Amino acid sequence: MMSDFLSVSHLSRSYGEFHAVNDISFSAKQGEFIALLGPSGCGKSTTLKMIAGLELPTAGKIEISGSDVVNTPPGKRNLSMVFQSYALFPHMSVKENILFGLKARKVPKQERNKRLNEAVEMVDLGPHINKKPGQLSGGQCQRVALARTIVSNAPLCLMDEPLSNLDTKLRAEMRSEIRSLQKKLGLTVVYVTHDQIEAMSMADSIILLNEGRIEQASTPEAFYEQPETPFVAKFIGHPPMNLIEFDDLLVGVRPEHISLIEQGGLVASVVESDYQGSETILTTSYKDSTIRLSLAGKRVLTPGAAVNIQWAPENEHHFSSSSGQRIERTHSVMNS
Amino acid sequence: MNRILSIVSTSLAWALGILWLFPLLYAIWASIHPSEFVTRFELFAPLTLDNFREAWNQAPFLRYMINTVAITMLILGGQLILCTLAAYALARMEFKGRALVFALVLMQLMVVPEILIVENYQTLAGLKLIDTYWGVGLPYFASAFGIFLLRQTFKTVPEDLENAARVEGCSLLGTIWHIYVPLAKPTYLAFSLVSISYHWNNFLWPLVVTNTEKSRPLTVGMSIFGAPESGVDWAVISAGTLISVGPLLIVFILFQRQFVQSFMQAGIK
Repeated sequence: MMSDFLSVSHLSRSYGEFHAVNDISFSAKQGEFIALLGPSGCGKSTTLKMIAGLELPTAGKIEISGSDVVNTPPGKRNLSMVFQSYALFPHMSVKENILFGLKARKVPKQERNKRLNEAVEMVDLGPHINKKPGQLSGGQCQRVALARTIVSNAPLCLMDEPLSNLDTKLRAEMRSEIRSLQKKLGLTVVYVTHDQIEAMSMADSIILLNEGRIEQASTPEAFYEQPETPFVAKFIGHPPMNLIEFDDLLVGVRPEHISLIEQGGLVASVVESDYQGSETILTTSYKDSTIRLSLAGKRVLTPGAAVNIQWAPENEHHFSSSSGQRIERTHSVMNS
Repeated sequence: MNRILSIVSTSLAWALGILWLFPLLYAIWASIHPSEFVTRFELFAPLTLDNFREAWNQAPFLRYMINTVAITMLILGGQLILCTLAAYALARMEFKGRALVFALVLMQLMVVPEILIVENYQTLAGLKLIDTYWGVGLPYFASAFGIFLLRQTFKTVPEDLENAARVEGCSLLGTIWHIYVPLAKPTYLAFSLVSISYHWNNFLWPLVVTNTEKSRPLTVGMSIFGAPESGVDWAVISAGTLISVGPLLIVFILFQRQFVQSFMQAGIK
């Protein structure tokens, strides 16, 4: 078994009374793609900055390939970073931007040019290398930032919401581009995002943070199939998982797992139907809970109409309403 | 309505400009005509360059000029280095009492330099710097105006740029030199201009602290040259004045466009 390349243990960062990051531990193997996912203010960016050395932890340890780096300055941690704002130097050309780090590290000129040519080819920036960042589009800027990572030859790459300033179409393109680049170079990546789609589609494993703590750390599949807490259940999936209260039980069912039936099941009343093209999101109310259904095609139902809904017992997730923890499913609410 | 407004403002600007230009025009008139035409304006009065020759021979203008250039450059150099470092510290470094230090710097802006003449003289006498370039320049090195201006500019530099530079292995001074300084270029230009014109024309402090030709700048030299006890010959004084303001005037006219642009960008009026 390969040993951990990056290991973070009991990492904390507080600002006065506020705990931005509270006792976080995780690790990544070489070549692994880890996504730090969470809503804004959950501490994911702070965690990344601490790994980069741009922020000092109040407690905890960070190890990169076996050595403790907490007191190592960012430039000596042998890592590269891609920023949400791209962080391109506006007064330098694309070429100078890419070579900035190599010049700062006094890499010989010949080697510099060799790496520059490789990187420019890899991210397809050939015709633009003498332009200033101000003349480039968002996607091209992002490529320059990636080229900077490539030339650094650093085995660890930290990415801070690199795609959030791009439009949807470009974002999807860059997702697969980043992923294939990461595989090609064998990079270990820690990728911060608030976008569950990015995390689910790119990462080998996801760490979901909430209020400075790890809510769940597992593979994308486990996030979808085995959410550990109601918070995770609601965070992953679109629309989010329905959480319905039954006595002392919180029952979670994904909208795509619920179907309409002629009779039987639960009787809910339609609140609204939202047609989105390939599917219709039907919002219904059942007792005090709201239940959303994702139905294929166009299904328009009059508000107030009663519908019978049903789901398979294996798609039911049970959480204790007192502790909020996932509990083993012993029965299905469908049968009771 | 708009047209009337623009005509009024343009003519006001011209009037003001001519008012400002007047002393200079008079100096030119007086310097290129013989003394008897100093207060008699005759269009075809005979032209002469004797006044310039006389002024040049009466006082060591070349030496004064060298002194002025050296002092101005020394002050500017000292200011740029000190203000850059102080401004960076106040803009981006976190330390206890930062707000207090910045408030003290701002307070310095309100202190009239003349108040400190005696105190500064004592200090520099203690340092044995009276009648040297350093003596004239040292009190101005830590310019509050420069620190304030650069701090405000540095604050607008996105922090991610600095973070990126640091991750790429750039040292602290390297980051300031490669990122902050180039991005603050307009501010540097504007500040340099204000500093140069102020110190080129500065009079009182150099008068107090210089004793000999060794360090005396043009302004002080001019005043000795034009002092009543050496007889007031306005034609020669005008010629001397033109000799001393000439170089700066030419530089200003040549780079006028760039200057105005950088002032606009730096927000100084």
